[in-house]
Amino acid sequence: MASLLLSPAEQDYITRGVEKDLRADGRGNLDRREVALRVGMISQANGSARCRIGNLGVGTDVLVGIKAEVNTWAPGDPEDAGTIECSVECSPSAAQAFEGRGAEEINVELTQLLDRIFNGPQSGVDMKKLCIIPKQAYWVLHIDALVLDVKGSIADTLVWATRAALLSTKLPRVVVETITDENGEMQAEFDVVDDPEDMTLLEGAENLPIAVTFNQIGKRYVVDASDQEEAITQAKLTVAVSPKKEVCAIQKGGVLRGFPPSLLTEILQTAQRVAKEELVKFDRHYAEAKKYAESQSDEPSTGSTFLVSF
Amino acid sequence: MSANIIDRRRINGPQRSVEPLYTAEAPEPFANGRVDSRALDQVRPIFIKTGSLATQTSAAASPSGSAYYEQGKIRISCAIYGPRQGRKSNTRMGVFDCDFKYAPFSCSWKKTHIKSPDEKEIALILEQAVAPAIRLEAYPKASIDAFVTVIESDGKAATISAAVNCISAALVDAGIELYDSVAACSMALNGSQWVSDCTQIEEDAASCSLLVARMPSADEVTYVLQHGKTAPEQTDQGIQTCINSCTRVYAVICRYLQASME
Repeated sequence: MASLLLSPAEQDYITRGVEKDLRADGRGNLDRREVALRVGMISQANGSARCRIGNLGVGTDVLVGIKAEVNTWAPGDPEDAGTIECSVECSPSAAQAFEGRGAEEINVELTQLLDRIFNGPQSGVDMKKLCIIPKQAYWVLHIDALVLDVKGSIADTLVWATRAALLSTKLPRVVVETITDENGEMQAEFDVVDDPEDMTLLEGAENLPIAVTFNQIGKRYVVDASDQEEAITQAKLTVAVSPKKEVCAIQKGGVLRGFPPSLLTEILQTAQRVAKEELVKFDRHYAEAKKYAESQSDEPSTGSTFLVSF
Repeated sequence: MSANIIDRRRINGPQRSVEPLYTAEAPEPFANGRVDSRALDQVRPIFIKTGSLATQTSAAASPSGSAYYEQGKIRISCAIYGPRQGRKSNTRMGVFDCDFKYAPFSCSWKKTHIKSPDEKEIALILEQAVAPAIRLEAYPKASIDAFVTVIESDGKAATISAAVNCISAALVDAGIELYDSVAACSMALNGSQWVSDCTQIEEDAASCSLLVARMPSADEVTYVLQHGKTAPEQTDQGIQTCINSCTRVYAVICRYLQASME
């Protein structure tokens, strides 16, 4: 990613601060910046969330929308489960480097990261419940993420927003009936109930993992790097941990160097601790966001879009 | 399954095609030991030939270094072009670029010639795994390009680790200045037991796959990738076991490289 140019003096300042557990904005090495979270603001989507991580109202901003579609089964698709398809796009408004085809590499990297964390049994979501009729029809959840602003730590913000969106995703209820057709065979047919009040949440969504990215600076590491800290990061490790303390994905990033194995083990242990605190924080923010979403009346009033109160 | 894009330069097959479903019994991967009777921590036999692409018609056209790598049924060919003029002309450090491609007949399902996001991501993975080993500060304004083609693949994590090993050998053949060779190894979790270097059927039956790339002399882990869910102690154990396997793979790579000098 295009990074800032830091002078050697600034780099030294940040590196030495990290060694003493004191970062440029006053945080400790394992502290995260402020989080703002809103859910359910896109009425056309089955689930949506917007998350911003950063100080003083400016930070990495990600908007995630989830749309559910019914897919006809074809040989090669899973027989009794639904699927999730992820797609991440970094908007050119986030950074000049993302204009035109500049964001192609990072889009692919983030899409595959989301796919690795959320698509499959490791996400905790019960994929079998997304199957409507085995070998005939199943739900596909299209997760589309739009990165609106980048100030360091994209992967974490992305996973926070996706987790919130999946938790708030509502699927319409499906009625399946088996009828006997003219040849005397049993055929199953389904009907999607068109009632906005009659929707179901995703089963198992509370088991979704949360991701923490550790950036190695000098000999120590920090959580939730700002963009200056990312500019001097030598290597980073993204770890996804579920509420049941299982490790759901690990991915290293950064081309400058690798991790000594002892640091790697230390980071994995710290990841468990940090993820536990993160999940508590997440639940608190999510409950607030849900309460806010429900308190909004159905008619949009000018000035109450998701920009103002965010 | 082909994309909906119609390619006007080639003669197209049908718009949609699927591979046939074989109902004949495939051997159960972990039922009684492994299918090819390996031990649980045994890596498949490795063969490396460096300089495999050097006999081109003109010296200017041939790559600076190349390697052909086999590990069990996995076959990979890699060519290194460089150091040559980089795209950005004023970088202080060289750039290592990697291009990864599955041949359309290499996997158990047909691939189109269009690069899928999977191949693009693996190219990024290979860059991140191998770049720490290269002395990029010795090549300012230059770029070193690696082109990896998988001729036959058998297990996704195993193919990626084989590609890392192949690029390491090719870089040595190209005479690029390195801190060390990178050796990679993969494992998959079957129940609560980590199994080394799994083939495609073994990987499909496993719940989690782990890939580790390592520079033994500098004792640095240059890449870790876990796909799937594990308990935290299992991850630690898996990474330790994988690091030990990497050391053994490294010894094999070094022996082949020494033999190629004689």
